[in-house]
Amino acid sequence: MLDIGGSQLDTSWFLLLGAILFALGTAGVLVRRNPLIILISIELMLNAVNLTLIAFSRQLENLEGQLFALMTMTVAAAEAVVGLAILVDIFRVRDLEDVDDLSEYKG
Amino acid sequence: MSNDVLALLILGFPAAGALLLAGRGWRMPRLVTQIVGPGVVWAAFIVTLVLFFGGANGDFTYWTWIKSGSFSLPVNLLVDNLSLFMCLVITGVGGLIVTYSVGYMAHEDGPSYSRFFTYMDVFIFSMLLLVLAGNFVFLIIGWAMVGLSSYFLIGFWYHRRSAVLAARKAFVMNVIGDVGMILAAFVLFWQFHDLTYARVFSSVGKSDSGILELAAFLLLVGAVAKSAQIPLHTWLPDAMEGPTPVSALIHAATMVTAGVYLVARMHPIYDVATYAHDTVAIIGAVTALFAATIAIVQTDIKRVLAYSTMSQIGYMFLAVGIGAYSAGLFHLLSHAFFKALLFMAAGNVIHAMNDEQDMRKYGGLWGQMRPTSITFLIGCLSLVGVIPFVGFFSKEQILGLAFSRPGNLGLAVWAIGFVTALITGFYTGRMWWLSFWGKPSPDRPVAHPHEAPPVMLVPVAILAVLAVAGGFIQTRALGIGPSLVSGYLDRVTGGTGWEDTGVAVVLGLVTMLLAAGLFAGALRMRPWSARFPWAQRILEHKYYFDEAYDAAFVRPMDLAAGRGYRDVEELVIGGSLDRTGARTSWFAGYASLLQTGYFRNYALVFVAGAVIVAVLLVARFAT
Repeated sequence: MLDIGGSQLDTSWFLLLGAILFALGTAGVLVRRNPLIILISIELMLNAVNLTLIAFSRQLENLEGQLFALMTMTVAAAEAVVGLAILVDIFRVRDLEDVDDLSEYKG
Repeated sequence: MSNDVLALLILGFPAAGALLLAGRGWRMPRLVTQIVGPGVVWAAFIVTLVLFFGGANGDFTYWTWIKSGSFSLPVNLLVDNLSLFMCLVITGVGGLIVTYSVGYMAHEDGPSYSRFFTYMDVFIFSMLLLVLAGNFVFLIIGWAMVGLSSYFLIGFWYHRRSAVLAARKAFVMNVIGDVGMILAAFVLFWQFHDLTYARVFSSVGKSDSGILELAAFLLLVGAVAKSAQIPLHTWLPDAMEGPTPVSALIHAATMVTAGVYLVARMHPIYDVATYAHDTVAIIGAVTALFAATIAIVQTDIKRVLAYSTMSQIGYMFLAVGIGAYSAGLFHLLSHAFFKALLFMAAGNVIHAMNDEQDMRKYGGLWGQMRPTSITFLIGCLSLVGVIPFVGFFSKEQILGLAFSRPGNLGLAVWAIGFVTALITGFYTGRMWWLSFWGKPSPDRPVAHPHEAPPVMLVPVAILAVLAVAGGFIQTRALGIGPSLVSGYLDRVTGGTGWEDTGVAVVLGLVTMLLAAGLFAGALRMRPWSARFPWAQRILEHKYYFDEAYDAAFVRPMDLAAGRGYRDVEELVIGGSLDRTGARTSWFAGYASLLQTGYFRNYALVFVAGAVIVAVLLVARFAT
């Protein structure tokens, strides 16, 4: 049981929300072809994990989970920077509709 | 200079000449080749003379080549009376022949000209290495290298198919002998753990005679192949495809007599290995008779000389086989004189006849090429064994010692040698009368032949003088006078152990008279072939040796090789590789379909994997 603003809420709700968000993000990465949407989906997955980490951190009254969430946010920011930079570069040199246009390295 | 340096110089001169001519010869003026080619042989001859008159004797070790545990192999040269004797023959007769080549090969263009002298110097070097070697390894190296230079020189005119085939045949036959030699060296090493002559020969007495018999028989294989004795003789007549000086030097005077040298050098082994020793004598006697009979029907002048060479080497084998080493080596010396003389005189004739070698197309040369004819006659009389030519003293000494030898073997080989001497008289007479006497043949290619230039006549003349006078250094056949050769060589090979009987001397003179009579009578003898057509056919086919070898070895080998190529090489070896490749590429074609290049496919596989792992983990902890 977690104490959220005075009201009690079962931890499993948070875990369930995290799982749903993660699944949504995964589905987004797998099925969407727009590179920007794929990047956003990856952010969604990372934040779903963050939510799970914080939920457990609160329940176990252990700050390590929150520290880890901070770490994840840093990595996510770096990942977004690198990913967007690559995308911008690709947009600059060629006309890109979706990620399937980048598949010429297939066997 | 000390003797060990001089011994190295004997080898060094021809080696340096060969290297110089091989590297620069074709770019240098002809004169340089003409001076360097024979010059280095004469230089080696002079060094040999210095050692000979200095009484040099010793086993000179220069350095240790291989050292492994208790085994060590030195680089050593054995200079003793036997090797110096051989060196004198090789460089002396060799020098004359290489000088003669300056004229004989004059029609060759520049590169071929220097190539010829390169090969000749390589040969001289190899042959000297063979006789000077102080251990079995260098003996075998020299042994193989003379075979190689023989191959080069037989195939010298490589645009002729027959010459190339003859060279190949000679090489294959010689390699059979080389294998025998190498196996013999293995056997001796296995027994004595050493390969130097000195240490092998000194421990021969302590060894099991069965092993020595094996080694002696294997050495005999090498000797028989190199010296063209039955049954490995078929290459020598074909080797006449080479230029005539080559036939004179390699296939008459020196290389083919290496087998005789080998048996004499290995006498400590053969003295113990009596079965192998007797076999040497029997092979020699049989080859002497066999080759002489074939020589009767040959029409090519060089082939007659080739068969007579086989026959005379048979005599030498007979001599060393019964233990009369110095007699065999004396015949080696005298044969080198008169056979080199015969070949070079025949070369003059062949030159004058525009390379025609069929004696039936000569005739009447006595009046037109007098100097060559006289020298050829001297060679013939020496070959027949007429007093006082050198051939008489050497051949009659062999026959006399064979006749006087205690035991039946001596008598048996004497009888064969006696018959052979008579046949020799006949075929030599036939060759002489057919080529030089009578009227010119209507088919003769040149009506007015020119005598050879001095560079080709002087060496022949020198050999003619040696063939006339050379016998007087060893007149033992008559039982009187000096015996310088046997006196010199017996210090290495040991004395013969028995003396000629008086009967043997008389029989020797009778043999000589009969042979000389047949030589003279060959002029008037009616053709006998009409009465014995079957005999003529057998002899013309050389007793069907070539046909038999063809059927027994060459064709089955060809067949097996053809089958092997089709059924094993192409089908199994090549086929399995081809199929492996085809299967791999077929599989890769399907495997590459997995590689779509679509990121989402890879991500899907990754996610699916992660899901499976998660499910498994949950299933495990849930229970």
